Amino acid sequence: MKRKGIQQMSWKGLAAFTVLILILPFLLSTSLMITKATFAGIYTIVAVGLGLLMGFAGQISLGQAAFYGVGAYSTAILTATFGISPWLSLLIAITAPALIAYILGHTMARLHGYYLAMATLAFGIVIHVLLVEWKGFTKGASGFYGIPKLELFGFTFTQGISYYYLVWAFALLVIILSLNIIHSRIGRALRSIHDSEVASSSMGVDTGRYKMQVFIISAMFAGIAGWLFAHMSYSISPGSFGLDGSILFLTMVVLGGSTSVWGAVFGALLITAISSFVQALGSKISFITSDFEHVLYGLILMLVVIFLPQGLFPAIAAKLKPFLEFTGRKKKSGSITAVKGDQRA
Amino acid sequence: MPDLLEVKNVTKKFGGVVANQGVSFSFESEKVIGLIGPNGAGKSTLFNMVSAIFPPTEGEIWFAGKRIDRLPAFKVSPLGIARTFQNLQVFKRMTVLENVMVGLHTSTSSGILSAAFKLPKAKKEEETIYQQAWEEIEFVGLEDVAAVEAGNLPLGKLRLLELARALATRPKLLLLDEIAAGLNHQETAGMSDLIFKVRDRGVSIFVVEHDMDLVMRVSDRIIVLDQGEKIAEGTSKEVQNDPRVIEAYLGNDEEKEEGTV
Ligand SMILES: Nc1ncnc2c1ncn2[C@@H]1O[C@H](COP(=O)(O)OP(=O)(O)O)[C@@H](O)[C@H]1O
Ligand SMILES: [Mg+2]
Repeated sequence: MKRKGIQQMSWKGLAAFTVLILILPFLLSTSLMITKATFAGIYTIVAVGLGLLMGFAGQISLGQAAFYGVGAYSTAILTATFGISPWLSLLIAITAPALIAYILGHTMARLHGYYLAMATLAFGIVIHVLLVEWKGFTKGASGFYGIPKLELFGFTFTQGISYYYLVWAFALLVIILSLNIIHSRIGRALRSIHDSEVASSSMGVDTGRYKMQVFIISAMFAGIAGWLFAHMSYSISPGSFGLDGSILFLTMVVLGGSTSVWGAVFGALLITAISSFVQALGSKISFITSDFEHVLYGLILMLVVIFLPQGLFPAIAAKLKPFLEFTGRKKKSGSITAVKGDQRA
Repeated sequence: MPDLLEVKNVTKKFGGVVANQGVSFSFESEKVIGLIGPNGAGKSTLFNMVSAIFPPTEGEIWFAGKRIDRLPAFKVSPLGIARTFQNLQVFKRMTVLENVMVGLHTSTSSGILSAAFKLPKAKKEEETIYQQAWEEIEFVGLEDVAAVEAGNLPLGKLRLLELARALATRPKLLLLDEIAAGLNHQETAGMSDLIFKVRDRGVSIFVVEHDMDLVMRVSDRIIVLDQGEKIAEGTSKEVQNDPRVIEAYLGNDEEKEEGTV
């Protein structure tokens, strides 16, 4: 059966990545490194959602950390204050950000132009203020303590290897769902909007609707990440969910590149690694503070935007391609990209 | 039976520029209608209104008995209007086949969640989309470049791609805005053959074209615009002999070289 001509999902890439994730804990020597690798998974979930929004809906959100915070605080309050099961509050941690995204998106005239960046920026500031000031619920700036651990069939996920695997199971799920979306009629519709919105709508694509759906999905992913973060830590505080955080997520996506799901994953991993490295240095060298980290991210953003506007991942993928094509299928020349056989059959 | 397309007294102003002024005409199914006129006459503007890219300043547009001039663009495709663009609007970073697959968007319906979870309905639809997109690729003869990213194709192939993509929406009315612009003689001849083939599928076609031989050959009827106004309408013979048409073309320096009217 003819099956060529579609940019297909690479199961091999996914399989290789999964193996890497599975064996990584055995290569990391300290529990601090495991914790960092767990954070990398949490950030990956947020970054993948933001990557979909930026690369496929052509929209920027400067409030992703706020959705992340809504997820974290909603589960913290529901479980610690009201004694609800964390598995039940997962639903709230997903739907609350989704609802907010829906409302924000609707007021933004169906996501035209750059209004969304402004709206999410404002939303992020509002959330941060709420988290600090609404002390009755959030306990204010000093942080919310006493978040219960996740339990499943009598097994408790504590910080460490078990939590690492839990987080990455969610991250892989989010990656797979995103890949599926991209390789569907919705994914094609979204990609088409990016190239020509006029042609897209003439083909009957309701561009506003799909941009909105992707925005909602990105908020849901951030909510899941927030939920994971809350139950990993005993306490959370507003500082993790401010503009700094949103810009950090943005940096991950820009650095990795938003034209593919893997770009965002790559960016999340790389930024987490850089941040861990800088923090390790900071404990030895006094002038390397968290301000230094922010300057570094700003610098990275600038350099990438100027020299590699597509992000690092596409450039690296292009270099790696000859090594990855070990299927023995005859390579097509030059411009023909991503020709695959009948993998989907 | 209402006419397929009815344009009623349509005026379009861009600030001080009057791109269309009181244009009216209508046509029935299964016809090829040519729309000609010197550069800047307002042909593309009229097409943009018929495809609901922007609304007219005044007047109404009806399609198959339904008023369409206030609809958002994405809602006219399901009614049966498809188009190509004078200034190409291909999806550059998608393959040729994927471009055409976007044309099948509205004939399928699975949503973002069934896509994410690969539900059976989404998989089945994907199969249909793939098969039907291939049929259109074969129809215009782009099989050998189906897997090429559209941004890498030469102009001639891009024009064919826009045609295939528009056909994939299964239109009742197809708007072709200078589909032969920039094509060589051989490609132009191929294009006019294709237009006949499309017509044989029962599709009505509204053609804007500068190549007079092509327009005269394919059109059953021709509408002539000049400076936003309709100045003539009739068979190719009739408009060729119409003094206002001759004057419009001869009065326009740019058109003299190609003016075979
Ligand atoms: N989007 C627009 N904004 C402002 N002026 C426009 C726009 N589109 C077309 N025009 C003007 O309307 C007139 C008709 O243009 P157009 O419809 O493209 O002519 P044609 O396709 O017959 O060459 C021209 O004067 C053009 O400059
Ligand atoms: Mg034009």
